[in-house]
Amino acid sequence: MTSSACPCCSGLSFETCCGPILAGAPAATAEALMRSRYTAFVRHDLDHVERTHAPEIREDFNRAEAERVADECDWQRLDVLRATEEGDEGTVEFLIQFRRDGQDMRHHERASFRRIDGQWFYSAGEVNPKGEPRRVVKVGRNEPCPCGSGKKFKACCGR
Amino acid sequence: MEPRFACTACGKCCHGLLPLTLTDAVAHAVRFPLALVWTVMRSNAKSYDLATRLGTTVRLPNRKTVAVLIQPSAYLPNHFPCPALQPDNLCGIHADKPSRCRTMPFYPYREEKDQADLLVPRKGWECDVSAEAPVVYRNHAILDRADFDRERAELLEQAPVMRTYADYVLKYMPWIVNDLAKMAAAPAGGKLVTSLSSFLTATRRTDARELAAAQAPLMQALAERTRNDPALADFHKNYAGWAKEMERLAQRP
Ligand code: SF4
Ligand code: SF4
Ligand SMILES: [Zn+2]
Ligand SMILES: [Zn+2]
Repeated sequence: MTSSACPCCSGLSFETCCGPILAGAPAATAEALMRSRYTAFVRHDLDHVERTHAPEIREDFNRAEAERVADECDWQRLDVLRATEEGDEGTVEFLIQFRRDGQDMRHHERASFRRIDGQWFYSAGEVNPKGEPRRVVKVGRNEPCPCGSGKKFKACCGR
Repeated sequence: MEPRFACTACGKCCHGLLPLTLTDAVAHAVRFPLALVWTVMRSNAKSYDLATRLGTTVRLPNRKTVAVLIQPSAYLPNHFPCPALQPDNLCGIHADKPSRCRTMPFYPYREEKDQADLLVPRKGWECDVSAEAPVVYRNHAILDRADFDRERAELLEQAPVMRTYADYVLKYMPWIVNDLAKMAAAPAGGKLVTSLSSFLTATRRTDARELAAAQAPLMQALAERTRNDPALADFHKNYAGWAKEMERLAQRP
C-alpha cells in the first residue's frame, strides 16, 4: 500500500495522521481533532465533522450546507497558527486557504475544543478572532501578523 | 386630496422579490423559491421602532445599533414573474394568495401613518389612482384595514423565531455583521440573502425534510433558467447551491 501525504499539511502520511481518526480512533489532542476535521472536508467525509461536534452544538450543524461547501471548495492548505490545551479544554487557532468560484479565500478561526470521556469535540469557533476585519487589511510583509500569532505576516497568514 | 387606489390587475407588481410571512412561506413552499432577505434600518429611519419589534437589533463594529428585518421571501430577480401569475396577468392562487399580496399596496413593516407614498404607482405599474378609484387612506389611516392588521399580526407573532435565526447567523456566520455594516453605510442600503437551509437548521423545524423536498425542484429549475445570464450570476449561484442543499436535506434520514 502506498502512503499518501495527509491533506491536513502535517507532513505525515494520511495513514499515520488523520486516517485513523477519520476511521473512528480518538484524537490524541485538540489539534489532531482539528486537523482531522479539515481533512474530513477535503475528503467529503462530513460524518466525521458531524460526530465531532460537542453535544450542545450538534443540532446547529447545517449538514446540507457543509456538504455543499465541501463540494464547491478547492481546499489548498491548513495552517495551525497556535494550539493550546489545559486539562479537558483546548484551543486551536488556524487558517484555511481555499478557492471558491475562482477566488482565493481564507478562513481564520479560533476554535474551542472540549474533551468528554477521553474524546475531543469541537465546541465553538470565533471567526477572525480579536475583531480583525474579514478581508485582512494591507500589512507589510515583515510586520507582525494581524492574526495575533506573534509571527511576521510573511511567515504566517501572508505566506 | 385624498389618495385613491384600485388594482387594475395589470400584474406588474407580481414580479421579483416577494416578502412573505413565515406562515405564507411554509404554506407556499411548493411554489416559491424561498430565502431569507435581510434589510438594515438605521436609527433615523421612519419606522425604526417598529422594525426593532418585527426584526432584531444588531450592534455594528462601529458601535452603532441598527434594526434588521429578516423577511422570508420568494427569491426572484426583479423582472421574473411570480410563479403564480397567469398569462392573463391574474393571480393563479387568488383565493389563498399570500398576505403580502392581499395587503398591497400597503406595507405593515411601516407605521400605518406612513403609507401615503406607497399609493403612488411605481414606474410601469397600472394601478388606478384617478378620481374614479375609491378612497383607501384617510387622515393617515387605512380605511379597510383587515388585511394590513392580519399581516402585521403575523409578523409580530413570528418575530421571536426570526430573532432566534438572527442569533444563529451572527454566531455561526459572524462575518455577516460586516456585510450589515456595509449596508448601513451605503446610501441605498442593500439586501443580504441567507439560505433556507440555515433557517431550517437554526429553528429546528421538524418539517425541514418536507420543505426541502418541495424546494429542491424549484431551485433546480431556476438554476437552469438563470444559467446563461451574466446579469443573474448571483441568483444562479444561489439557486444552484441551494438546489444541492435542498436535495441533501430532503434525503436525510
Ligand atoms: S401570489 Fe398572486 S398576487 Fe401574489 S405576486 Fe403571485 S401572482 Fe401576484
Ligand atoms: S401594479 Fe397596481 S394595478 Fe398592477 S397588479 Fe399591482 S397593484 Fe394591481
Ligand atoms: Zn492529517
Ligand atoms: Zn497570521
